[in-house]
Amino acid sequence: MDAVGGLLTGFGVILTPENLYLCFLGSLIGTLVGVLPGVGPLAALALLLPITFTLTPVGGMVMLASIFYGAMYGGSTTSILLNIPGEAASVVTCFDGHQMAKQGRAGAALGIAAIGSFVAGTLGVIVMTFFAPAIAAVAIRFGPPENFALMVLGVICTLYMIGGSLVKGVLMVALGFLTAAIGIDVVNGRERFTFGSIDLSAGIELLAVVIGLFGVTEVLSNVERIVKSTVVTDRIRGLWPTLADWRASWRPMLRGSGLGFFLGLVPGGGPVTASFMSYALEKRISAHPERFGKGAIEGVAGPESANNAAVAGSIIPVLSLGIPGNPVTALLLGALVIQGIQPGPLFIAQRPDLFWGIVASMYVGNVFLLLLNLPLVGLWAQLLRIPYRVLFPIVLLLSVVGTYSANKNVFDLWVMLGFGLLGYVLHKLEYDLAPFVIALVLAPLLEQSLRQSLAMSPDGAMIFLQRPGTALMLTACAVLVALMFRRAKKS
Amino acid sequence: MKSAIALALLSALLATPAAAQSGDPKAELAKLKPKDFPTGPIEYTVVYPAGGGMDVTARLLAKYVEKWSGDKIVVNNRTGGAGMVGHAYLATQAKPDGYTVGVVANLLWGDAMLRAQGRWAYTDLEPIAYLNSDPLVWVGPTDGPYKGMSVKQIVQIAKDKPNTVRVATVPGSMWEYILDQVEANSGAKFLRVPFQGGGAGINALAGGNVDIAQGFFSEFRGLADAGKVAPLGVAAPERLSFLKDTPTMNEALGGNEYQWIIIRFAVVPKGTPADRKAYLGAAINAAMRDPELVAEYLKAGVYFDPKLTDPARMEANLKAYAEAEREFYQKTGRLK
Repeated sequence: MDAVGGLLTGFGVILTPENLYLCFLGSLIGTLVGVLPGVGPLAALALLLPITFTLTPVGGMVMLASIFYGAMYGGSTTSILLNIPGEAASVVTCFDGHQMAKQGRAGAALGIAAIGSFVAGTLGVIVMTFFAPAIAAVAIRFGPPENFALMVLGVICTLYMIGGSLVKGVLMVALGFLTAAIGIDVVNGRERFTFGSIDLSAGIELLAVVIGLFGVTEVLSNVERIVKSTVVTDRIRGLWPTLADWRASWRPMLRGSGLGFFLGLVPGGGPVTASFMSYALEKRISAHPERFGKGAIEGVAGPESANNAAVAGSIIPVLSLGIPGNPVTALLLGALVIQGIQPGPLFIAQRPDLFWGIVASMYVGNVFLLLLNLPLVGLWAQLLRIPYRVLFPIVLLLSVVGTYSANKNVFDLWVMLGFGLLGYVLHKLEYDLAPFVIALVLAPLLEQSLRQSLAMSPDGAMIFLQRPGTALMLTACAVLVALMFRRAKKS
Repeated sequence: MKSAIALALLSALLATPAAAQSGDPKAELAKLKPKDFPTGPIEYTVVYPAGGGMDVTARLLAKYVEKWSGDKIVVNNRTGGAGMVGHAYLATQAKPDGYTVGVVANLLWGDAMLRAQGRWAYTDLEPIAYLNSDPLVWVGPTDGPYKGMSVKQIVQIAKDKPNTVRVATVPGSMWEYILDQVEANSGAKFLRVPFQGGGAGINALAGGNVDIAQGFFSEFRGLADAGKVAPLGVAAPERLSFLKDTPTMNEALGGNEYQWIIIRFAVVPKGTPADRKAYLGAAINAAMRDPELVAEYLKAGVYFDPKLTDPARMEANLKAYAEAEREFYQKTGRLK
């Protein structure tokens, strides 16, 4: 069956009142899940999985998938407004999105996030429609050495983009790596830096760290300036992105879409990595990297597009190969298995109704989400008019609830508090938090892929030069490092 | 009608002595129900992430326990540290009041013996019901130099040319132990590529990044149906009914010790009142006699170990398996 015919079949399946309703319901739940810190798509899908037992396979999958990408839309909201990431893939949106909100441009940030999500989500489904099986076959060959080179490139981009003191930046990256090393070694299963504590053996929960670093730190640094009455220092300016915003955003959106789609596709990737890598990329290629972290709209447009495209990308290997690349897609696979359906390379041929129905629903769902999220922009932006003395207890409450609900582990609350205090101190000493968080996210993948590569290579590190894709990416890293040294010498 | 008889026969075969108890399971369960219990939802704790084999097992179980007991069941994933966090929670923090049931696997024993550092023991969790068993399967490629080879042939290559055959493994667990046995008995030497789980290894096999992967049937069934990967050997005592043409590892390598199986069962924290414990176990056993649930489990590619399907012998036989595992750790120097 060709793609157009397939898509028509899909729309035939999806355009029933029941399936449209489930798609809308999923979009709505997804948006809420994204908005609420702590409750991520994984938790929501796990919670709602039993409901899908009673639905048809198409209906169930349509709803679960729309929750997944719907969460990517909603996730930016609290990141921008309150500096608390709604879920892990929206952490980077705090960097510039919240700064924009402080400058009275929350509307523009929220608008660009929603539109970027829509553009990327739709582009992703279009690519999926025409190339899903072919792409999946290529992506699966992306192995540990390629993953390693990609992560190194991400870290080098992060270092390269550091504004201000390079030493401070390198320190933050190193601290990020060290923090990521806490817990059970991904390769030989031994405990590291746990001091015999069961809590530490699970590692440091990323969500607790970022909610502490951003949400709690934000409250601490704001309450010391009691004179201030609202978050917004300037007047709230236009609710919609301006022409200049558009001009600055369309390229990051497209780049974010491409990068995100790719990172969703490859094993081990997903929306979280995609958003971080997109931020690193945008800052790297920007003519004014110093604007990043101070309210650059590119820093919102790129990552918010990337995380949505990554969802479309990550659904492809599940449906066309039956192999999930990240926990959320593993759950989608689980949902299908419970329905008695085993996706694999034959899935599209055997169940065209299901495959194309899901694809078609993603077109519809993205339209629902845009229509759902754009009108909310105005409403959300008004939140910032709330006096800060009322707002900050709410921010703290959301931080606590969000952190706890992720794992239901009280220890995570202490982690959150600790990193809130650390963030406050680092903020005072003018350390940039972005490199720390990026290193924390990329480190486990970087370490695992490095050690896997070395384990699978009879010739040691030569494996990185034997594989063309890897060699290319590492050469790019070397060039960037050389440029960095030259720049450091000049100044 | 015919299929109903077949299903009835099937369930009778699978849980013979339990099914022999006559009468309506609901009425029997009601007789066992303690006074004032449960007054709220019962939590089924799963220590692995949502969507995996363990999680699907627990969620299916919850659905049928609710059907037979009428109690409200909530499945909760307490994850982290490859199960360590959830196991420690169940053994040391969960209240023994009957409102927490752990849906666990025998990986619990390895965690308790090798990683708990004396902070808790596997005996802190008392088994109340057996669910199913899922053996590790060696899976090979369908193209490239190892195409069409048997386990024996590949092991021979790994012996003749050590450190050339790449095998996906999960460190510190049965994925690695079976490799230890194969290497020790044959003199072969593999390149061990570490992954976080069996599924990730199967991905790497399909992508040509490893030569052998080890996983569960549900993880590779789709790829195997499409001819992208091929099952080579099953680490179970007997061939699986749905993989009749695949030899056991013992057949393939001429041994008797290549048995690495995920055994899934339900536990309660030590100290849970006896009446509640009995009721919770009976509720699960009632669900396990439901042919629909049995059919759902069979679809996922599991089997039922006759040594454990009898509730009367379940606890003792599980303990025997656990102690056999301890012996393996002692023999291989993992445990002093």
